[in-house]
Amino acid sequence: MKSIFRFFGLVMALVLISGCATSLVSDVDPQTDLSTLQRFYVVKLPSDKRGVQSLIVDELRSMGKEAESGIEANAPMPVDAVITYEDKWMWDITMYMLELRVGIRDPKTNYKFASGYSYRTSLVRKPPEEMVEEVLGEIFGNKNKGE
Amino acid sequence: MKLLKLLGALTIVLTVTGCAVGNTYDYQAANISLPVKGDQSVGLGVIDNRSYVLNGDKEPDFIGLQRGGFNNPFNVTTDSGKPMTEDMLSALTSALDSNGFDIKQLEFSSSDSGLIASVVVKNGEAKNIVLTVTDWKTDVFMKITLHYDLLLEVYEKDGVVVATNHLYGKELVGGGGFESQNSKAAASAFETKIGRLFNSPDIIAALK
Repeated sequence: MKSIFRFFGLVMALVLISGCATSLVSDVDPQTDLSTLQRFYVVKLPSDKRGVQSLIVDELRSMGKEAESGIEANAPMPVDAVITYEDKWMWDITMYMLELRVGIRDPKTNYKFASGYSYRTSLVRKPPEEMVEEVLGEIFGNKNKGE
Repeated sequence: MKLLKLLGALTIVLTVTGCAVGNTYDYQAANISLPVKGDQSVGLGVIDNRSYVLNGDKEPDFIGLQRGGFNNPFNVTTDSGKPMTEDMLSALTSALDSNGFDIKQLEFSSSDSGLIASVVVKNGEAKNIVLTVTDWKTDVFMKITLHYDLLLEVYEKDGVVVATNHLYGKELVGGGGFESQNSKAAASAFETKIGRLFNSPDIIAALK
């Protein structure tokens, strides 16, 4: 009987562990000084119906940066960097943002010199505004980890 | 009772290994963005110099490990079934091609510098890009750890190296999840590291 309890205990532990997985990482090119970037253009994903681009713009503005968004792949005005993103949502009682990937690119070459990623499963979910805040905070607070 | 134990054991095995066996990642889907543009013809080769592949411990399509519930490792291979460096060559060719370069793919049988130089001379292109992969694998359990050691060299047509950039390390690139999520994280890490290799003043100057 004990072995059955142990077995169910192990299965429950696995289920709980997988239900509260998080990951927050970023990568910034050591050749880049993000503090010098002031003007940003956020490219809206055509499939984005939840307005994640507006959340990114709002967060950048709250960081003291100038930011606009639009559907053009190339910024229609002179900017220091272009921001692209990918969001993924899941349903668990309500819809929630499972992951957010943000890239910061050179407007001339499209080279992605900085990126950040957050992944939060249902039990540790955060509102999308906070996911955006933690990803951008991780990127701009990055001290060239791994270099 | 014995049947119950057997079913329990079988369920545990399936639970802890179900997501770990037979995983494949797609590096050909990598969307690499490079800080260099050009319109000249360039030779390009990628060399697999991973010790665990050269000594036969792993096959050339090996790209990492996925760990099961007891931390037991299972090989992850390329989605295409081709050697990893072929997938990397394909992704890199697309990236350089979309930035204006006319790519001539080169084949190298080893990372020996003399051999590389002779292939480059025989090829005759004014500029030649050679990526040597001494380590590249992801190790996935609760997190995704990337082990990498990449050397990018630009050779001129006489076989002389005019620019190099070397990146190596071990770092966290994401949280372990389902196969498709891990594949995306691995491809994204590849995009990032290749971009970093090219974003060196020496490499950019050499390719102008």
